[in-house]
Amino acid sequence: MTQRLTILLFSALALTGCRKDTLEEEPQAPIDPGTPSGTGVRFEPAQVPYPVLSTYRFFTGGLKDQTPNSGVLPYEPITALFSDYAHKFRFVWMPAGAKASYAGDHDVLDFPESSVLIKTFYYDNVLPDQDRRIIETRLLFKRSGSWYFADYVWNEDQTEAYLDMNGSITPVTFVDDGGTQRTVQYRIPSAAECQTCHKIQFDPIPIGPKPQNLNSNYSYADGVKNQLEKWVEMGYLQPGYPSNIMTTVKWDDATQPLDLRVRSYLDMNCAHCHADQRHCNYRPMRFAFNESDDLVNLGVCVEPDDPVAPQYTQIVARGNPNRSMMHYRLSETDETVRMPLLGRTVVHEEGLELVREWIESLPGTCP
Amino acid sequence: MIARFTLVVTTLCVTLAANAQNDCATAIPITVGTYVVDTVDGAQIPLPVCATGGNTATNGEWYTYTPSEDRSLTVTTDLPENLDLDTRFHVYTGTCGNLVCYDGDDDAGSGYLSYALFNVLAGVTYTIAFDDRWDADGFTFQLIEGEPFLEAVTFTTQSLSTQGSVRAIVDMDSDGLDDVVSVTTSNININYQLAGGGFNTVNLPNDTVANSPSWSLCAGDLDGNGRMDLLYGGGSGVTLMFANENSTAFSDSSYAQYVFCQRTNMVDINNDGHLDAFLCHDVAPNVYLMNDGEGQFIWNQGGLGDTQGGGNYGSIWTDFDNDGDQDMFIAKCRGGNPVVSTNQLHRNNGDGTFTEVAALFNLADPMQTWSSAWGDFDNDGDMDALVGASSFAAGGHKLMRNDGTTFTDITAGSGWDEFLGTSIEHITHDFNNDGWLDVMSGSGTIMINQGGMVFEANPVGFDVGAVGDLNDDGALDLMNSSTARINNGNSNNWLRIRTVGTVSNPNGIGARIILTTASGQQIRDVRSGDGFRYMSTITAHFGLGTDEEVLQVEVRWPSGIVNVLTDVDINTTMTIVEEISTDVRESILSEVLVYPVPANDVIQVTGSGVTQAPVRVFNAAGGLVLQGTLSGERLDVSTLSSGFYLLEVGTAAGAVRRSFTKH
Repeated sequence: MTQRLTILLFSALALTGCRKDTLEEEPQAPIDPGTPSGTGVRFEPAQVPYPVLSTYRFFTGGLKDQTPNSGVLPYEPITALFSDYAHKFRFVWMPAGAKASYAGDHDVLDFPESSVLIKTFYYDNVLPDQDRRIIETRLLFKRSGSWYFADYVWNEDQTEAYLDMNGSITPVTFVDDGGTQRTVQYRIPSAAECQTCHKIQFDPIPIGPKPQNLNSNYSYADGVKNQLEKWVEMGYLQPGYPSNIMTTVKWDDATQPLDLRVRSYLDMNCAHCHADQRHCNYRPMRFAFNESDDLVNLGVCVEPDDPVAPQYTQIVARGNPNRSMMHYRLSETDETVRMPLLGRTVVHEEGLELVREWIESLPGTCP
Repeated sequence: MIARFTLVVTTLCVTLAANAQNDCATAIPITVGTYVVDTVDGAQIPLPVCATGGNTATNGEWYTYTPSEDRSLTVTTDLPENLDLDTRFHVYTGTCGNLVCYDGDDDAGSGYLSYALFNVLAGVTYTIAFDDRWDADGFTFQLIEGEPFLEAVTFTTQSLSTQGSVRAIVDMDSDGLDDVVSVTTSNININYQLAGGGFNTVNLPNDTVANSPSWSLCAGDLDGNGRMDLLYGGGSGVTLMFANENSTAFSDSSYAQYVFCQRTNMVDINNDGHLDAFLCHDVAPNVYLMNDGEGQFIWNQGGLGDTQGGGNYGSIWTDFDNDGDQDMFIAKCRGGNPVVSTNQLHRNNGDGTFTEVAALFNLADPMQTWSSAWGDFDNDGDMDALVGASSFAAGGHKLMRNDGTTFTDITAGSGWDEFLGTSIEHITHDFNNDGWLDVMSGSGTIMINQGGMVFEANPVGFDVGAVGDLNDDGALDLMNSSTARINNGNSNNWLRIRTVGTVSNPNGIGARIILTTASGQQIRDVRSGDGFRYMSTITAHFGLGTDEEVLQVEVRWPSGIVNVLTDVDINTTMTIVEEISTDVRESILSEVLVYPVPANDVIQVTGSGVTQAPVRVFNAAGGLVLQGTLSGERLDVSTLSSGFYLLEVGTAAGAVRRSFTKH
């Protein structure tokens, strides 16, 4: 009943902008975040996922400006997952007084109840008008100890996003940061696709927010700060985590050692499946950052189980990308060959180049 | 010892005229020995390509070899002096103007070195050509002769003009000859096999469809119009492609629902005479599309493998318990989750419902598998299984013998315990026509059934593709990409059986065929969709060994009708039409009446089982003028001009023809 009322109220707001202003201008008594009225983030565990994104009040001003509301903190992993050249805004929100705690350098932070991870996928310079197009906003929220997915697909007017867990494909033609015009058949995932990557056993999990990926500086509105320190300052992370975190590097930072760049790239793009307990643990590779200092785990001189094409004699053939299954799969768009399996329909040319450079740098040849 | 001797010879020979071997015409005749190539720089590129790795070479080096007696020959660059080099070669028969691939290799040696062993015949000239596909550096190679060896099955490579993904060998035009189907999202390319050999290539463009058969394709006559339809199993959904009445165009029907398709099959799940479709879902409960017989395929998800998280890779339909209906085994796979990766066996209860009984039959194995091969490997009258490992992470291949009340793991000592190739594809056919079903698996290997549940590896050098008979010689061929692998055959006898259902589904999918010769009985289940990705011929194939006579062929149709044939030719393809017994047929057929005569806009058809029956109307010249199904018992003939017509009604007892006159 409450939910129905909410929807009606919301529709009224959306239809009449001035009415909304009037409401917001009314004097507000301090209200706990998470309640239907007020201006703070709204998150009622029993009511989510809401049918539309704006109901959460994660953003102030126009929804498409993605200006975070109070308590909504932007963050960025050091190396990002490649998603068909889409850009992303990422935010975390937790209820007042709740904190995450450190669980290990390479483990997702232990998030409190009602935490929400918010990730908006968009393109800039989208043709024909060279403007921004926001495609979807994905939420991962925690309720009763379990994570849940909610995906909101944006309307054409970029004024609202609607809950849609069925998955769809939308074409996007844009000019990338390097000036190249590209077209992607962008895949908005269904619930089952979210689950394919974001899971351990049967349980949904986040992937990115690990200390190894967050132990870096970020330009906040009020200045540059280490992200973990900022989370502590916000009250979002229990202080006292180790000071010597084994940290990934930015995959495209040419000042960093090549092997660390590759390992960081493979961790973010591949380790959600190629790790113990994960979707594809039956293949021999182990790409998690804390396991990939062992070259065998990276597939160096390891024969593939599935030949796909027999000239790729090893997963990684020392010095020889043209014989390396890893290079081949990263260079393919055929959905039965390409890796990662989901989330990519075009080749990440710069990532592929990094992997090629690394394979060529490996001395010797495989026996 | 032979090798050592060769090495001594080596040092003696070496440099032949340095530039003579630059093209086929100036190829240097050589015999056993060791030879040095300084640089791969000859102008003629070896073509066709007879090894893996594509055709991007730019130079070649050419030799010929002509044995004086039948021998085996080894060509190898797998020599210590070639450490770190990367070679490739091709072996041809024929003349320079018409080279035919005979053998060849890229990487069978250590590292990227090349090695091939093959039989050669006295007096035949074999052309051996190296190329610079990988690098042009000089290298050393050896020719070694040996005794000819026994090869259970060998293949010759041919290339075929295809377009897009080659997915199927299937008889698309019901002429008894298997055709080759390759597709893109906007085109269906069919190579129709011609009666005298060769192919007629036809491209049928279609509106771009939402899904491609990247993960699997299956075929069957879904709509009962006598033409093969296709199902595309894509990474995010499914598309059905319906052939029109003369196969000149396909129309599509795509589903909006998300399916991460893996193996797909066509099978009559509820045994109503109409083919349904089954789709393995990688990450969710399986999907099946139920054919209502009126052109609708109703989406169903749930009830046939509902494991949370999916893990469904290789479904195969077979009657494992010999009760006359089709059961389904699912080869399953999933990292870190033995619940999801445990294989399932769905037993058909005969009433449209299924019960999962893998544990009861000792088949609930959490191994990592993408496909299983089901056939009667010991010819004892029931279906056994080779459940093939895609990875050895959770156990190896399993050869499971059907003992009626359970399946017994007889892997140890079967040859499968020592076979270390892994594959996502496992299929069973009698590739050498000896009357024992073989299994094709990974590492380019056919495991030849020696009888007695013992298999021996027979390397063929290529991986699983679609299987069928591409030259109507009774020896099963394959298609990998655009490369046809033509089985060289042998003197064994064979029989191919094409099933045409009348009461049962049009292709007789699910029919059990029992063939009896002096050596005993063999069985096949007629199938659409085995292994993982490809669609292999629906036509059942039997090797007969040296048996010269088939004593009996029995077909147990899904309808329950049993047809027995005793006057059967061998070394041919026979078509068996589902026949209801004559006395029953006559009583049903005689009831069918058509009125009024003459008719105006509507005719009425009465009789047993004619409601919604398929009908065709022919004019006096024999031309088809109307096709459809009865609306209840009525047919709208208002579009027909005045005249005399023949109405054909498809009833449960077969086709009935009645004439009528239109005002």
